[in-house]
Amino acid sequence: MIVRFDNVGLAYDSGSESLRDVTFTLNEGEFRFLTGPSGAGKTTFLKLIYLAMKPTRGRMTLFGQDVTEAQRDMLPPLRRRIGVVFQEFRLLDHLTAFENVALPMKVAGVNQQQYREDVRELLNWVGLGSRMDALPQTLSGGEKQRVALARALVSKPDLILADEPTGNVDPQMGEKIMKLFVELNRLGAAVIVATHDLQLVQALGKRTMQLNGGRLIEDAPMRERGRMR
Amino acid sequence: MTIQVKGVDAAEIAARLAEAEKILSTSPSVASFTIVDSKEAAKLLEPWLGKGNADTLNVPALIDLKLSAEGRSGVEALSKQLEAISPGVILDDHGGWNDRLADAARSGQALAFAVFALIMGAACAISIFAARAGLSANQEVVSLLHLVGATDDFIASEVQRRFTVIGLRGSMLGLFAALFLLSLFSLATRARGAEGFLLPGLSIGLDLALPLLIVPLAICLVTAVAARLTVLRTLRETY
Repeated sequence: MIVRFDNVGLAYDSGSESLRDVTFTLNEGEFRFLTGPSGAGKTTFLKLIYLAMKPTRGRMTLFGQDVTEAQRDMLPPLRRRIGVVFQEFRLLDHLTAFENVALPMKVAGVNQQQYREDVRELLNWVGLGSRMDALPQTLSGGEKQRVALARALVSKPDLILADEPTGNVDPQMGEKIMKLFVELNRLGAAVIVATHDLQLVQALGKRTMQLNGGRLIEDAPMRERGRMR
Repeated sequence: MTIQVKGVDAAEIAARLAEAEKILSTSPSVASFTIVDSKEAAKLLEPWLGKGNADTLNVPALIDLKLSAEGRSGVEALSKQLEAISPGVILDDHGGWNDRLADAARSGQALAFAVFALIMGAACAISIFAARAGLSANQEVVSLLHLVGATDDFIASEVQRRFTVIGLRGSMLGLFAALFLLSLFSLATRARGAEGFLLPGLSIGLDLALPLLIVPLAICLVTAVAARLTVLRTLRETY
């Protein structure tokens, strides 16, 4: 089991609950889409999984370990097993595209000689082979998105989380990125993609979770969703 | 050391001076001595009393005395020998002045240590506030490092490295400024003669430059450790 939520809730200091009673399980090799209107709690849902926030209610298990009350030093090794494509890219402005992509490897203490080729290969694959030394502020939105994607994949994570990964790229690149997620999933990584793009969701026919008002209202394969309503 | 030879008139002073000279010539404690008789002593007072005015006074004669290397232990005996001539023959070892100067030097030294401690304290405080400000300004960087799996130790080491470099740059700049000022001071004392100043002449050699090197190294160490501890403490407050 990769992720398990048992009645998970998240309330902010103001008291408003962003997520309520969410229960779900993501097993090895599973692919899920996460859909829902803006403000439904999709980003918060992903933040809990990539350990940026702590649930205020319920229990949360990641890679078989209960992280609800985990000690701080237990979290970094778990985070290294997750590749995240953030909605707002979150590239470091003072690092080049190459250095941004290499960051997870550096943090993990991997020797540069060992990851240099992987980083180059990934950047070539996303079409940025000629812009490896470019700083983020000189890249377009789509290029930043692709650097963020390469950074999420460089450490060959067990779980890939993507928050609107096709939001800033053209449809062709969007399709290419989705096919990559499917391919990585086929190779064994579990994947959760939060998206508004229902066309893409329908085209791939993968299992879909729908959030509304912080509640998980559906968790079923896309083709079954009509019947569930 | 100085020997003061007093008397009721010039003849008595001259007689006592001759006796004192005999004792000094045979004493093993004495390396050399120079006699400044009443006339010469009176001349020394002319700048204050005016020409000729000091002659009317019964100015004591003086003997400028230099002790031999092993002479210090014989000072008491020598003083007694001289007093035996007359209570008007007084050996003045300037102990009172020496003690006051030594006290002043010790106070200066203590003040220097206090200033050094203050500088170290200030360096600590600056590092702590700078590390906190740096963390606030780079919250996004720290947050991202966390999310890609960086440990607190990794982040603290990165911050520590950065602060060490900044501390080293700043303190080396300070060291060169200090050496430059000391060189100027040294040149000034040489140009005017050390006796023109309260402090003795100063020359900058390895014996002075090497201990000064400890200051930037200490500041670097303090800066790095303070930054590291601050970062670790701040990070522990986050998830």
